Amino acid sequence: MADERTQTLTSLHPWAWWCWAIGIGIAVSGTTNPLLLALIATAMVAVVMLRRSDAPWARSVKTYLLLSLFVIGMRLFFQILLGGNHGETVLFTLPQVPLPDWAAGIQLGGTVTAEALTSTLYDALRLAVMLLCIGAANALANPRQALRSVPAALYEASVAVVIALSVAPQLIESVQRVRRARRLRGNSSTSLRTLGTIAMPVLADAVERSMALAAGMESRGFGRTRGLPTKGTLPLMLVSSMVATAGVFLLLSTDFWALSLGLLAAGVTAATLGLRLAGRRLRVTAYRPHPWRARETLVAASGVLAAVAVLGLGWLDPEALSPALASLLDPAALTPSTNPLVWPGLSLPMLVVVGLVLAPIPLTRARHRPETASTRNDTRVRSLRPRAETEPERELAWR
Amino acid sequence: MAVITFDEVSVTYPGAGRSTLERVSFELPEGDLCLVIGATGSGKSTLLGAINGLVPHFTGGTLRGRVIVDGRDTARHRPRDLADVVGYVGQDPLRGFVTDTVEDEIAYGMEQLGTDPVAMRKRVEETLDLMGIADLRRRPLTELSGGQQQRVAIAAVLAAQPRVLVLDEPTSALDPTAAQDVLAAISTLVHEVGLTVVLAEHRLERVMQAADSAIWLPGDGTATCGKPAEVLAQATVTPPLAELARIAGWSRVPLSVREARRRALREDLVPAAPELPVNGTGPVVLSARDVEVRYGDVTAVRNVSLDLRGGTVTTLLGRNGAGKSSLLWALQGALTCAGDITVCGRDPRTLSAAGARRQVTLVPQTAADLLYLPSVGAECAQADAESDVAPGTTAKLLRTLGVDVPDDRDPRDLSEGQRLALVLAIQLAVRPPVLLLDEPTRGLDYRAKAELRRMIRTLAAQGVAVLISTHDVEFAAGASRRTLLMADGELIADATTADLLTSSPAYAPQMTKVFAPVPVLTPDDVARGL
Amino acid sequence: METDARRVPWAVGVAIVIGVVAFSWPLFLRPDSGMSATQAPIMFAIVLPVVLAIVLSEVAGGRMDAKALAMLGVLAAVGTILRPLSAGTAGFELVFFIMILAGRVFGAGFGFTLGAITLFTSALITSGVGPWLPYQMLASGFVGLFAGLLPRASGRAEIVLLAAYGMVSAFAYGWVMDFSFWPFGIGSDTQLSFDAALGPLENLHRFVLYNLATSMGWNLGRALTNAALIVLLGVPLLRLFRRSARRAQFVPSTQPAPLAE
Repeated sequence: MADERTQTLTSLHPWAWWCWAIGIGIAVSGTTNPLLLALIATAMVAVVMLRRSDAPWARSVKTYLLLSLFVIGMRLFFQILLGGNHGETVLFTLPQVPLPDWAAGIQLGGTVTAEALTSTLYDALRLAVMLLCIGAANALANPRQALRSVPAALYEASVAVVIALSVAPQLIESVQRVRRARRLRGNSSTSLRTLGTIAMPVLADAVERSMALAAGMESRGFGRTRGLPTKGTLPLMLVSSMVATAGVFLLLSTDFWALSLGLLAAGVTAATLGLRLAGRRLRVTAYRPHPWRARETLVAASGVLAAVAVLGLGWLDPEALSPALASLLDPAALTPSTNPLVWPGLSLPMLVVVGLVLAPIPLTRARHRPETASTRNDTRVRSLRPRAETEPERELAWR
Repeated sequence: MAVITFDEVSVTYPGAGRSTLERVSFELPEGDLCLVIGATGSGKSTLLGAINGLVPHFTGGTLRGRVIVDGRDTARHRPRDLADVVGYVGQDPLRGFVTDTVEDEIAYGMEQLGTDPVAMRKRVEETLDLMGIADLRRRPLTELSGGQQQRVAIAAVLAAQPRVLVLDEPTSALDPTAAQDVLAAISTLVHEVGLTVVLAEHRLERVMQAADSAIWLPGDGTATCGKPAEVLAQATVTPPLAELARIAGWSRVPLSVREARRRALREDLVPAAPELPVNGTGPVVLSARDVEVRYGDVTAVRNVSLDLRGGTVTTLLGRNGAGKSSLLWALQGALTCAGDITVCGRDPRTLSAAGARRQVTLVPQTAADLLYLPSVGAECAQADAESDVAPGTTAKLLRTLGVDVPDDRDPRDLSEGQRLALVLAIQLAVRPPVLLLDEPTRGLDYRAKAELRRMIRTLAAQGVAVLISTHDVEFAAGASRRTLLMADGELIADATTADLLTSSPAYAPQMTKVFAPVPVLTPDDVARGL
Repeated sequence: METDARRVPWAVGVAIVIGVVAFSWPLFLRPDSGMSATQAPIMFAIVLPVVLAIVLSEVAGGRMDAKALAMLGVLAAVGTILRPLSAGTAGFELVFFIMILAGRVFGAGFGFTLGAITLFTSALITSGVGPWLPYQMLASGFVGLFAGLLPRASGRAEIVLLAAYGMVSAFAYGWVMDFSFWPFGIGSDTQLSFDAALGPLENLHRFVLYNLATSMGWNLGRALTNAALIVLLGVPLLRLFRRSARRAQFVPSTQPAPLAE
């Protein structure tokens, strides 16, 4: 956090990272080829390791990996226990336990086939890699920087979030102070009653603090440039969101996919337009905004291209192509069949997709690790005195 | 050319019996540093808020009359519309911060005004240089010291280039060095940049010499304005130099030590040296040997050994960050620390919280942390139950401390001094032999400090050993007989108050500096010696 | 706090409709629609943030002044601190009672915004932004929203009402979140999983069984903590919030000085 500003110049705009990650996620959703998925996952982890930000959860890619493994495990478990079984290669058999009629006649156990397991595995793997994409976006894009680049319509909401982020550590200190004070009055129990007596002063303090904060914001001109919203922004936005939802609804429940996609696209674009209009009522400027350069466009484009490539390939009809092109592109390899079981294969387009995943590495530079937090910030010291006060000489010693 | 005009201004808050300000009128010329003086609750914050428009637009209430700032009437302009004319810095700057780094905080005000980004960059750099905080630009706000936070808060309102700066108690929580930095920055703003500054302050002795005009609020709603030397002569708020003027019979109060000294020398005022205080002969109630407090790698207190005798009052002086708070908490037994601590034969660290409280009682810096019940009566009853004493003891103790409030009053509505008295009553209900006070004078005006001095003297007369940690030298001079000096975690001096304070230029009270080399400490000493 | 009561309900009403669709999408999915169960949530993942942005921008922006925003931020901070405290123990969600009480005092729009922003901020601090976040924001927004729409009551009846709402909303939150992630948890091939070929009623039956098997404990824990916290801290908190709401709403008056005296 300390050296965020210099890194504004060298780091990528957070929305570019998100665009890239979501593009890859959409691409992943279009395939169940385990080889491709594994390659994409390795490529993403490589990008994260080389280019991650310095946010505290940037090191939590491990957590996302664990979560992905957990999802795979849970799916396999439920499949073994409750799965409908198809296919011929029986792996093992569990004793069958039929549940009573009110439980919809479900049978626990039964035969477990390789086909069923592999198809579950493929599906779970796809889900796991999609989760990993989101995790990678978290690790690479500093959310606090992303907060600075929200559209103007959400400015007030982002102010509330920034306030929450700044006040939260102060409230923690407040709790520690009040707990110490409780001990001074002689009750050091941690019963529920004591916790309640700690909670109330902290909450009252929080409410007082919000008033003082509001006075400060008001005195510094908050809301000064806020004009009246343009007439018609509200109906536009509401109608567009209903249109978009109708589009999704139709997409899911009918096969008028052209109509529903059209509705969806119209709704989303109208909504974004409405947001831009709404943002115009507030003429707040941004101090040192994060620039969007060619690099950002390229990284975002690589995600979009990957999504287009995979989804387009999936919609291609192999019979409509010439044999040479069909064998080169091999769209069927995207979803290897599990019944009967075949070994999955790789095709040229898949390698291209993996290349697109790795594209940000040459386009960005690695971050410098900032210095570790100074001990001046030690909350144990600070909680005794409401303010941290140091001597000037100490500052130099810790450079 | 008056930049602030108050015209028959009266302010009444909803539900209040009488008006807080009653027909206040004054005009403030441009470029003045104006000091607003008054006891707690006399309406200083209301006056300052009225300049900005916070009163009545933000706080509610009725404002009669007109307040005109730089040609704009606050009745027609909300505080956000006056942001480019008046910069307002409230009492606790940390609570007013909206962002989390210094640079963003300074830019915030300009963002709200829709300033062009290029101009914003320039102004941020200029403001950083002006306040001398350029090397702090990327630091998180919570990591700054009190003085630095205050300067950042001032820089943040300066970025909008206002003409008037309003500050509500900027130095009350700061140690002398930090206060000096902030006041120097404010003086630069007045003299170099040409701002008009309106400042409310309790600790007047630091600010008096820089003031060009003063407004005194006696508490009945009226206001007296004029030159500081004359206003202070009439005021009931008495910094040491004002008391000296009263004693010596001067009609104008000298505003600086130098002025007072020259006048005293001219008039040949030489008080007799006060007699040496008799050393405390009570039994040793607290004995500490080689106390060491560590937080991870940081050693906050190192090799501190001291004895406290019953019936004596001792002050612990030192810069902020020297380890005073850590030492006090360690002595109470609340911190794990190395070394021996014995209070009346027992080690407070081995006792339970309730047991330790009977031996050593601590009143922390934010005394209000100890209060959590909705009324004064409930707090007293709870204190009686906690301390195992007869019901009504705490309430009686509170009245002997001089606070007489109805039982159903919410403790949050009490003044600072009253809250401190309530906490003292609660903690003293158990009649401990040792009382530790951590920075009790923060936010107290002179009258409350005099009351506190009286309370402490009564306690000492009853045999309690009192240790006060403070950086208010004037208070220390008047309250204690023995002073300890702490720096960088170690006790570097332990002597009688008279010896220590008269021999150190940094910690000498104003009377000592005026009448050097005579070892007087307080105006009372001067009065007795003349 | 200036809240324009007329505009807020429209945006909030739309949010309710969209929320219902978003959370119950498995019921509507047809096998011939060409979308697999894994691709459908992605569609929502695109639409939901836009919808959330619209609703938040309408409620928070232009309608909330500095006091409301500061209160929002501070209460969201309180919720953010409370959330990791309960992460270890199953279902002891401490966050919701603040949303319910604040929504009750400050209104439906404030409650919705508080719910959404609390979840967002705590995601920023703890686990990062995940694909479940828009759903969580919408669901907890609803918890706050409906708390503001509860009927009038006072004194003990109010506490009972709020505690009952706390229990109901805890279960509702759990069901709604589970429902939208049901296909993810189980997959499409088991007897308990969502099958697009079956009708909505059959799927609902399967869902109930799935829910019983997996998250009943969580929901129960959440309901109990909500009710307990509301009963314990409800009265002082409601008083505190109402006091500050009063301080924030007033009609200032400035009058010129009387001429003669």
